[in-house]
Amino acid sequence: MTVHASPIESPSTAADEESSRLGVIGERNRSLETHQREAVPAVMTDRLGKRYGTFDALIDLSLEIQRGEVFGLLGPNGAGKTTLIRTLLGFLQRTSGRAEVMGIDPASDSVGVRRCVSYLPGDARLPRHLRGRAVLKFFADIRPDGDYEAALAVAERLELDLQRHVGFMSTGMRQKLAIATVISSKSPILILDEPTANLDPTVRSQVLALVSEAQRAGRTVIFSSHVLTEIEEVCDRVVLLKRGRLARQQTLADLRARHRIFATRRQPQPAPTIPDRLRDSISRLTTDGPSVIIETVGDLAPTLGWLASLELDQIRAETFGLRAVYDSVHFDEASPS
Amino acid sequence: MIDRVLVRTYVVQSSLLWLACALTLFAFAWVRVWVSSLIDMGQFRTILEQFRDFERFAPIGFDALFTHTGRVGMTFDEPIVIFCTAIWAIARGSDVVSGELGRGTLEMLLAQPISRTRLILSHAFVSTMGLLLLVLALWAGIAVGIARTEITETVPPPSVRIPFTAIELPLTVAGPTKTTFPMSSVVDPLDFATGIYSLFAFGLFLLGLATLLSSMDRYRWRTIGGVLAIYVIQLVIFGLGKSTERLNWLRGWSFFNWYRPQQQIAETASGGWAAPWRLTGPDADSWFGPGVYPLLLLAGGVLFYWLAIWVFRRRDLPAPL
Repeated sequence: MTVHASPIESPSTAADEESSRLGVIGERNRSLETHQREAVPAVMTDRLGKRYGTFDALIDLSLEIQRGEVFGLLGPNGAGKTTLIRTLLGFLQRTSGRAEVMGIDPASDSVGVRRCVSYLPGDARLPRHLRGRAVLKFFADIRPDGDYEAALAVAERLELDLQRHVGFMSTGMRQKLAIATVISSKSPILILDEPTANLDPTVRSQVLALVSEAQRAGRTVIFSSHVLTEIEEVCDRVVLLKRGRLARQQTLADLRARHRIFATRRQPQPAPTIPDRLRDSISRLTTDGPSVIIETVGDLAPTLGWLASLELDQIRAETFGLRAVYDSVHFDEASPS
Repeated sequence: MIDRVLVRTYVVQSSLLWLACALTLFAFAWVRVWVSSLIDMGQFRTILEQFRDFERFAPIGFDALFTHTGRVGMTFDEPIVIFCTAIWAIARGSDVVSGELGRGTLEMLLAQPISRTRLILSHAFVSTMGLLLLVLALWAGIAVGIARTEITETVPPPSVRIPFTAIELPLTVAGPTKTTFPMSSVVDPLDFATGIYSLFAFGLFLLGLATLLSSMDRYRWRTIGGVLAIYVIQLVIFGLGKSTERLNWLRGWSFFNWYRPQQQIAETASGGWAAPWRLTGPDADSWFGPGVYPLLLLAGGVLFYWLAIWVFRRRDLPAPL
């Protein structure tokens, strides 16, 4: 038996082809959009400003945070760290400039921004009438990328008692619960505002380990803290804010390659001169009576031979550390370049 | 427009208050109906006639109260009923923004991908449904009360009045007789549907007002204080408006003037089902029919909600206290 194709099938096939062709174009456009979106930094601000009445909380703040980076936010109280975070999340309306999170402007689509971001506030407070387990369930359910099982796993790792009501938890336990709700989601960006406040040293290490794991999973982490050693431990890059302005950006890898050498001269002699071949390696040389302070950049090895020739005693070398950078910004000292 | 997870949380959060209010309203309505049956209609009339000078303070004319339906309808103006409705509306409305801000939980909540509009609408859904169920609990209490109550009335012996005098002459020497009959034979619970509707509209108005003040504030105690201040001022204005003819114009400036459940119930009893829903007055002197007043309360509540969303969407979210 021969089966003839129905005449109706022919235009239908043409329509299918057309639709398929349009579909391919649409798919290409979508993939282009995705590609463009992937190309944008995780966070971008351009001369961002926030003013409360006559007080400027943020002034012309421009920065970029790349994807997969652990980015530190440093600054004294009132420097503008939390204001920056809250402006990025759309909690506050900016006064001037631009901001984008994953290419989305928080002023026009704050829900879109918060879909990409998991945020732990500096003073995270949770519904007191719920038990720990119910809090984890609530936050896992309310986010499209929430993961209840992951939250339970984090809670177990932080040794949380989930049967207890939030109202009966200690401050540290509540903080751990908040961390479990935030870190367990699958959002591409994590913003942690002083996550280790109120935590004991063991849990602090656990939290820092969780941050490192998040980075290994490809997530971007914005880490605001007053604890310099924590920032040094987990961050790739740090910005220091002062009175609402960006005072300094520092890559931690560069900082780790810097050393400060303290020594005492054996006998009075003129201040040593830096050899030409070491001009790039030694950024600063200070003498004060018998004591000498030398600041180096990069590999320490070439400098060691010259140091040995200076007849110095009590030589002590230490990595530069964020403390020096922080102090230099905070106290307006001449800072290492 | 509303979030399932938020709705679930708000239900859990408000369930204890709802249960307390619902039980109070149900039990009070039942007891109120029963108590109204204890006082003989003749005695009730005699008592009320003593207060004819104060009739203007009553929500409806005294003559409309000399029926069992009218007496049960007074339930809607009882302080406990108004109190429970207002407690629910103010407690829930004030919680939505300033309550969460005060507890510091709004920060974590809005850190999730939920719009501020969705948050308010989810809260409004739970609060409005709670209010609806509360007024239905009151209605249920009235219905149960009517079904379970019997009325005993004293029937005077037959008599004739001597023309042109006020003298009544008994036709028999027998004393007055007492008859007992179920209340349900003279009162239909469905007659109170319009009263329930009015109470719901009144609650929604307060709910919207409390939500609006909450959306502008960061302290719940201040929000509650603000709503109560408005409530008391409006009540005083309404009372002054009723006190003398000269201040009658003040009544138009109080939302209590729009809460007229007893008038609507009386309209149902006298004019049938359609009467209380009329939007125009029965004559040229009265512009608005009884159906307009609950609509004004409902419109006010919806307007307040709309303003609350508008304000909340534009304001900066302050850091937790």
